[in-house]
Amino acid sequence: MTNTKPPAVEIDAITKSYGETTAIRGVSMDVRDGEFVTILGPSGCGKSTLLRMISGFAEPTTGDVRIGGKSVVGLAPYKRDTAMVFQDYALFPHRTIAENIAFGLRMRKVERAEIARRVDEMLALINLSGYGGRRVSEISGGQAQRVALGRALVVRPSVLLLDEPLGALDMKLRKQMQAELKKIHRELGLTFVAVTHDQEEALTLSDRIAVMNAGSVEQFADPETLYRRPATRFVADFVGGANLIDAEVGPAGALLFRGLPLSGIGSDAVKDRAIGDKVSLVVRPECVATSALGGQAPGPAIEAMVTEVLFSGAVQQIVGRLADGSLFVAHEQGLKPPPERGSTVLFHWDGSLSWLVAR
Amino acid sequence: MSARPRSPQERGGFALLSLYAVLIYLFLYLPIAVIVLFAFDAKPIPGLPLDTLTTGWFVEALRDQKLTGSLLTSLRLAVVSAILSTLLAMPAAMVLAWLPIRFKSLVMAMVLGPVVLPQLVLGLGLVILLRSAPDLVGEPAIILAHTTITSSYATLILYSRFLGFRRSYIEAAMNLGASELVVFREVILPLVRPALISVFMLAFTDAFGEFVVAWFVAGFTETLPITIWTSLRQVISPKVYALSSVIILVTLAISLVSQLWVIRQTRLTSKVQTS
Amino acid sequence: MQAGAGSAEKRRRRFAAAGIAPLMLWQFVFFVVPVILLLVISFWRTRNYRMVPDFTFANYIAVFTNGAMWRALLLSVQTAAFVTIACAVLAYPIAYFIAKKAGRLKGLLLIAVIAPFWISIVMRVAAWRLLLGENGVINQSLLSIGLIDQPLGFLLYSPVATSIGLVYAYLPLYVLPLYASIDAIEDNWIAAAKDLNAGPMRAFWEVTFPLSLPGLIVGAVFCFIFGLGEFVTPALLGGGKQLMMSQVIQDQFQRRLDWPAGAAISIVMLVIVFALLAVSMKWFRKASGEKL
Repeated sequence: MTNTKPPAVEIDAITKSYGETTAIRGVSMDVRDGEFVTILGPSGCGKSTLLRMISGFAEPTTGDVRIGGKSVVGLAPYKRDTAMVFQDYALFPHRTIAENIAFGLRMRKVERAEIARRVDEMLALINLSGYGGRRVSEISGGQAQRVALGRALVVRPSVLLLDEPLGALDMKLRKQMQAELKKIHRELGLTFVAVTHDQEEALTLSDRIAVMNAGSVEQFADPETLYRRPATRFVADFVGGANLIDAEVGPAGALLFRGLPLSGIGSDAVKDRAIGDKVSLVVRPECVATSALGGQAPGPAIEAMVTEVLFSGAVQQIVGRLADGSLFVAHEQGLKPPPERGSTVLFHWDGSLSWLVAR
Repeated sequence: MSARPRSPQERGGFALLSLYAVLIYLFLYLPIAVIVLFAFDAKPIPGLPLDTLTTGWFVEALRDQKLTGSLLTSLRLAVVSAILSTLLAMPAAMVLAWLPIRFKSLVMAMVLGPVVLPQLVLGLGLVILLRSAPDLVGEPAIILAHTTITSSYATLILYSRFLGFRRSYIEAAMNLGASELVVFREVILPLVRPALISVFMLAFTDAFGEFVVAWFVAGFTETLPITIWTSLRQVISPKVYALSSVIILVTLAISLVSQLWVIRQTRLTSKVQTS
Repeated sequence: MQAGAGSAEKRRRRFAAAGIAPLMLWQFVFFVVPVILLLVISFWRTRNYRMVPDFTFANYIAVFTNGAMWRALLLSVQTAAFVTIACAVLAYPIAYFIAKKAGRLKGLLLIAVIAPFWISIVMRVAAWRLLLGENGVINQSLLSIGLIDQPLGFLLYSPVATSIGLVYAYLPLYVLPLYASIDAIEDNWIAAAKDLNAGPMRAFWEVTFPLSLPGLIVGAVFCFIFGLGEFVTPALLGGGKQLMMSQVIQDQFQRRLDWPAGAAISIVMLVIVFALLAVSMKWFRKASGEKL
């Protein structure tokens, strides 16, 4: 027996299949109490299904979901202590803002005076004091988003679920709401589980991120780790964007690209790999610089023909094509004179900023 | 928003189309206008030209016990049919629209069947069925027959309404702790009430005006359409036009108002937000 | 472990079954059973105005060999086909007008087209008798402006009258699916076609028409099967010299008391109706945008 609190949410070896197709294959993860976890992935990767299993709108085919240490599989949504912010907000159009927020409290048979007090408190928290009497049709998208959040928060759920919470907002409002969401999370200390396909949003908001692809979790880690050391090719590419050089481990610590050793790769980079392993070298575009051929590169370098130069002020993107046809991108600062389109140049980077993933 | 015509060519097309639309609406409402007109014609055998106008036929119609009797019978039976079919259709349409069910196409065929089945055939089938329950011939049989038809219409209409209903309303309510029954009472019912009322009204109008099936199973019961049918086989008295014109106008008003109301209400609950 | 996995699923199943059962039961007893009974007695015989259980195809053979019945079948199919085409031609422009050109009046205009459909059929037919009769409004008007000097006799109590009555009855029904299809076509698609240098006519044939096809076909199927089985309109406007199928059925049942013969014609009619529906099912799915 230990005294430590059980994880807020435990997902234990879940699979979900619809007939022949498998939507989720063996996913396990724990969400700690008070943590903000985001499930990130492209559409159709199974992230929403996972969220719906926590809230009770879907049941796993095999595996278990525990909230606060207790299994909730088979428990109706209304018997679970979760609250969800829906993608389309799902604010009841026949009720006022205050009535929407009060709904969950009424369902929990909270006393009338207590309801009024907590609704007012919540309206203040979401900066909508005085809007309680308005109809849903009379408020803006950003306000509706806050009401949806307030309606879920007011019941003080043990887990707050957010399904693409900011997806319907425009860029500026989204940035603003990100900050607000983060602040509310910090102030209330509740457990948040969100789902999004927006990697930037995930990186900004979360304590930890689970990156999903094709029904599996590829990596579950904090934002820094995800960005600095993605575990798989998919994560490297999906989070932050990356250059990937498909290579093979050669003898004597060499990394072979199209049969030839890549220059500047130290033997410690491949020390855990066996000869003949197929790997990808990952390096972020923002770590790459270009220089003229024949120059002396301080670290690893690779030749590429410049196909495109995209100038956007502070940063310019130099897009090159490697010998195997794949693209290689460098983000250089905009003041530097760019290489000419069609010329072949050297793309180079600091060896400590690149690493290998299995392919 | 409609695309406003710009070029002269398009403007000409628009004018032509508008003229055509006027003609079609004339075609649709001319017979109605004629019935209303002849309800005021003083001549016992209606015809042009009209010389004197009178409201006497309306009074006559009210005095005619056969007419008013069958009118009341029709009203009574149609109300019962409309209630029954709304009660049958509402849960079925909710299930069809929102829950995964097995044999969905078989179920849909059962729902669609009475709509596409020629009413004459349904009437005859019911006549044969009623041979084993002769006591039901008359009012109960008419109710059974009409409910069979109108519950199908009602289910189809409600089904399409419910398909457009945002599922997340239901999920949000459940998520906040409302059980199925509470969701129904607090969220679904208030939001679909307009659709239910309009379906009830349409079922009522349909049952009220239906003739063929009722005629076969009516026995000695006379509904208003049966009475009118009988009078159409003889020389028809203008008091029938008087009564008909009142009923037609009421029918039009009911369907206009209930449909307009529903259009306005569904904007609130539909999946696509129209701002 | 799996604490009662699928119990929510079971609960949902129970809800579904409970919701759908009453209607299914009702439709089984008052729709499926009557049709089956009709099918059964269509194989029986009639002797001395009484039905005798049997298994004979004589009633069906009669449908296709008895001249009167065959002519009625033919007339019904012809009339239904004519009415369908007429309704399609009349309904298309009005559906297009409401969907694309009516602006803010859209809802009102659509409802105004549909509304007459809900008026009792006997009243609508009564109105047409006032219009079409020898002393009816149309003849009298034509006489008074001197276009004709004798009332047109063929207007009432003829297949012409039946067709007019049926077009009137089913036009609203046809507009509805057509409107739905045309309304779903986004203006931008048509604009894109025009932007790619298609003229208005070309844009119509390349974009609008193909996309409205589901509505056109669904409307046609409904129009045809309803026209095929219609009874009141031909009985009151058609005169009675040339009978339609429904009139023959009614005659067999009520006057000749030969129920098996009437049942056999009914079943033939049903087969036509359901064959048509089966063939066009694909279009129903397209038109509804969801599995029907």
